[in-house]
Amino acid sequence: MGIDILLTALTVVFALMVVFSKRTVVSALSLLVTLICVGAIYFQLGSVFLSAIQVLINAGAIAILFVFVMMLINIEEIVVKHEKTKLKLMVSIFTMLVALGVFTLVINNNIETLSVSTLVDSSMKTLFQKLFSEYYVPFELATMLLLATVVAVIVISSHPKTHGEK
Amino acid sequence: MEFLPLIVFFIIANVIGIALLTISKILGIKKTSIRKNDIYESGVNAVGSATRQYDIKFFLTAILFLLFDVEIVFLLPWAMAYGDSPNKGFMVASFVFFLVILLVGYFFVINSKALKWDE
Amino acid sequence: MLETIIELVIKSAVIIGLPLGSLPIIIHAERRGAGFIQRRLGPNRVGPFGFFQPLADVAKFMFKEEVHPAHVKSFFYTAAPLVALVISILPLACIPVFAPIEYSGRPIFPEVFHSEMGIFFAFAMASLGSYGILLAGWASNNKFSMLGAIRACAQMVSYELSLSTAIVAMIFLYGTNDIHQIAAWQSGYWFGFIPKWGIFLQPVAGVLFLIGIFAESNRTPFDLPEGESELVAGYHLEYSSMKFALFFMAEYIHMMALSALFIILFFGGYNLLPGMDLIVDPFPVLLPIMQLSSLFIKVACMIWFFIWVRWTVPRFRYDQLMDLGWKRLLPLGLANLIMTVLFVYYRNQYYGN
Repeated sequence: MGIDILLTALTVVFALMVVFSKRTVVSALSLLVTLICVGAIYFQLGSVFLSAIQVLINAGAIAILFVFVMMLINIEEIVVKHEKTKLKLMVSIFTMLVALGVFTLVINNNIETLSVSTLVDSSMKTLFQKLFSEYYVPFELATMLLLATVVAVIVISSHPKTHGEK
Repeated sequence: MEFLPLIVFFIIANVIGIALLTISKILGIKKTSIRKNDIYESGVNAVGSATRQYDIKFFLTAILFLLFDVEIVFLLPWAMAYGDSPNKGFMVASFVFFLVILLVGYFFVINSKALKWDE
Repeated sequence: MLETIIELVIKSAVIIGLPLGSLPIIIHAERRGAGFIQRRLGPNRVGPFGFFQPLADVAKFMFKEEVHPAHVKSFFYTAAPLVALVISILPLACIPVFAPIEYSGRPIFPEVFHSEMGIFFAFAMASLGSYGILLAGWASNNKFSMLGAIRACAQMVSYELSLSTAIVAMIFLYGTNDIHQIAAWQSGYWFGFIPKWGIFLQPVAGVLFLIGIFAESNRTPFDLPEGESELVAGYHLEYSSMKFALFFMAEYIHMMALSALFIILFFGGYNLLPGMDLIVDPFPVLLPIMQLSSLFIKVACMIWFFIWVRWTVPRFRYDQLMDLGWKRLLPLGLANLIMTVLFVYYRNQYYGN
């Protein structure tokens, strides 16, 4: 119990640091620590595989991307020029509402949940079986989404006009 | 406390590293000068600063790695589920379908100039 | 509770101590090996055959001045070597050095952190390896360091893809992801004399993994991040004395951890080398020690291979390196994967298991 509270506190503290840190690289590194803490929470809940994947994908790829970009473009400090207070307020309220909605969903437990602890064997194989039988269509949709992202990355980053001049 | 082994291991690794750093901090001589603390740029005075913009290709490599890594990690549960699966034919078909989608993205990347480094 | 902690501390100390303790030997082997390959002597003055040279170097590292340049980002500059070393040590937690043994009714696992998913954990920790380098390069606030770090990061992530395809192929082939089961699968012999190692079934995946290790640990021919002719010393340019030594150690330990993973997946892990059965059969007590030493011998062979390649193959150009990773090895890995899947599927269809 104690370690759960400690991990949650660490996650929240570093998540806040992501938002409030003025130095961009510090903020990106806090994101890394947050993601690793989330991985540790998965671990604590009994799923080593999920925590390993969390570290592999979120900490090893996504956070690296952020840190990398922060270092590449070398913005030392974030300078907020225009304080659009009204917009900020609206966004905050909207986010709070969404978070509240998710929270009530979780509390009421209306959604169908597949807890790792209730599985027959803890080796996640049951979960994977379900992924490749019942939930196969969402799985393929996720890969289609990734394909769309690949195309988007290439299209956004290329400048069709400058190619001829080189 | 499934965590315990990792915590112990992590602490010991840290202790070794910090001990090594401290030893040299204590034993090493300390004699600083302005020249010694300057930026090392092959012996000449530094030109400009290190805070400059670098090629976008590095960024593209990182983001494409992220996307392909997610796709390949999708295959891990597949490889683990295959052995116990009752319907092996469906598993192989789903794998082939998945790989075709991956390859479409891959050939799109290769055909675009995103990964052309020798320009 | 206390007993568990003591057991864990002993295990951790052994698992960390073995690679750290063999580091001076490896560095000496690297120098003498370089001398041997280049037809010169190498360090041979300190002690018999120069064996005490690494120890002298350690002493030198300790007494050297620690230059702390004025322009660096102080906190991250100091933290980077520690981060690099700790991250390189972490994958070792999941590497078993012998088969689990029964002691007073319960199995004792040789690895510090025993889990079915241990291999993923080790791989995930190894994938964090670029953080130490990235931090060092950025915190040094030097053009050469920064360029070295960026190159290292882009290179490491590119080769991680083909490494992942090799791992997926092997896990699919073995049908399990438990390290001990993988080792058990690889025990025994084909036709009585060929060891049942994974490399004979999956030579392509083996080569992909091997090249991946070279790129991940920034060894020649993939040592662009520290290419001295272009970047002076790359990401550790502004580091001196023990801080530099920590990067050095991190590189070698990273190499050893990845080599151990390679051996677990492709060369039978801790299974006995051919011929060792003759010693173990009369004395079964010796089994764990012999398994430990066979893993150690295999890793030593890998390290010698690293040294050999370092003094044989010249460095790549950066565009060649990226082309090799993305346009040769990744499609090769995917093709290998699909061939493996189809082969296993049709073999099961026609011959059963």
